[in-house]
Amino acid sequence: MVKQTILHDKHVELGAKMVDFAGWHMPVQYTSIIEEHKNVRENIGLFDVSHMGEVIVEGNDALKFLNKIVPQNISKLTDGKAVYCQLTNKFGGVIDDLIIYKIIDNKYLVIVNASRIDEDINWFSLNAVNFDVEIRNESHNYSLIAVQGPKAVKLMEKMGAGDLPSFFSIRQGNISGINLWISRTGYTGEDGVELLVKNKFASELWDKLLQNGKEFGIMPIGLGARDTLRLEAALHLYGNDLDEETTPVEAGLSWSVPKDKADDYNGKEVIMAQIANGVEKRLIGLKMIDRGIARHGYEVYYNNEAIGYITSGGVSPIRGDNIALAYIKNIPEIKIGTIIQVKIREKLYNAQVEKRPFVEKRNKG
Amino acid sequence: MSEGMLCSKTHEYILEQEDDKGKYIIGLTDYAVEQLGDIVFVELPDVGSSFGKNEAFATVESVKAASEIYMPISGTITEINESIIESPELLNEDPLGNAWLVKVESSADESEFKDLLDYSDYKEEVVG
Repeated sequence: MVKQTILHDKHVELGAKMVDFAGWHMPVQYTSIIEEHKNVRENIGLFDVSHMGEVIVEGNDALKFLNKIVPQNISKLTDGKAVYCQLTNKFGGVIDDLIIYKIIDNKYLVIVNASRIDEDINWFSLNAVNFDVEIRNESHNYSLIAVQGPKAVKLMEKMGAGDLPSFFSIRQGNISGINLWISRTGYTGEDGVELLVKNKFASELWDKLLQNGKEFGIMPIGLGARDTLRLEAALHLYGNDLDEETTPVEAGLSWSVPKDKADDYNGKEVIMAQIANGVEKRLIGLKMIDRGIARHGYEVYYNNEAIGYITSGGVSPIRGDNIALAYIKNIPEIKIGTIIQVKIREKLYNAQVEKRPFVEKRNKG
Repeated sequence: MSEGMLCSKTHEYILEQEDDKGKYIIGLTDYAVEQLGDIVFVELPDVGSSFGKNEAFATVESVKAASEIYMPISGTITEINESIIESPELLNEDPLGNAWLVKVESSADESEFKDLLDYSDYKEEVVG
């Protein structure tokens, strides 16, 4: 049974092309992926990401519990602060990537991927034994609307949001008379907010954002542009660039793995050993030099040897070229600037290793 | 624009060139390009290469995916549309007109045309 968000009928009314994604009937595009993409980089875009999961972790052991299930040091979070982290298994593989928000002492909000809600909840429960903690899946009660782009902050100001939380922070707020949570996060590389709102106010909020955003050139944005935006920003997509066979270190996410965390956590031994001794495979960014588009699953070659595969790839609407993320064997001589090849329809095409992200991020507000 | 156009169930069209029997223009239907969305890459075969009916002869890529394009009838490529290689987005704008894919010479007999539909029938039966 395919699920629908509260805003489903809004998307259909707006003429969106709808697709099934992670069990949800979601808009993939309203007008054109490229047009929507550019509008987020230049003006502002509105995303329904209500398919994502919201889990409340509450109790005397909430902090201890969270420190056991992610490499990040949750002890460092102050009230209203958030952190990007991975849910790791015993071998350091990534079960999901998440954002953990500290609401207050003993109470945390966890935002998880739609496709992984069941696995996450299951893993939380398995790990919660012996902890004084309650895990509540609140996904069905909340809608999540992202407002992203250089004019997102102006729209929030106009709608009376008041002082916005700083980057990777959350606070309760009120926008045009609607109570909600305002989080300064996103999945585009742009400045902006994600608004967590009770389902019954979601449609009203969506309409008001579209209406008030007109003067800033707001457009609704589908999952198609969400994917090209996050690829330009080199943000990982679970299922493509992250999975249970891949550790955060291999995924190039060591920056989110503190070396000095005292608590033991699932997979710590493997992860710490990789940080100390290096990895067998690693994530790289690349841009195509020859004419061709690298896509998920295509093989990567170096010196006529298959050394890995593309996990995400496509066009960069802003740069006008073709970019990709790939996992390759950890060959030391391959670094930024090295020419490698991608196999497209049985032919090898030149590509160049490039630093990530592919575009400058503008969300350090 | 769709006068005389015959369409395949895989959304290619052929159009016999006026006063030039056995020569055809092959393109993608407007429904096909609408379904694909923004087209960002086109790969066309070499002039002089030959393909059988239903054989893949070109690749068209949208932002989301790569799609193979199949020959509605057998034939030999006599010309390719360089302008869509340079500007793939033209395919979104004018698929039934200037943004054709290739021209072919064909000696296909009637049997190869049996499963092709008039444009209006295609719209009704395939697009719905």
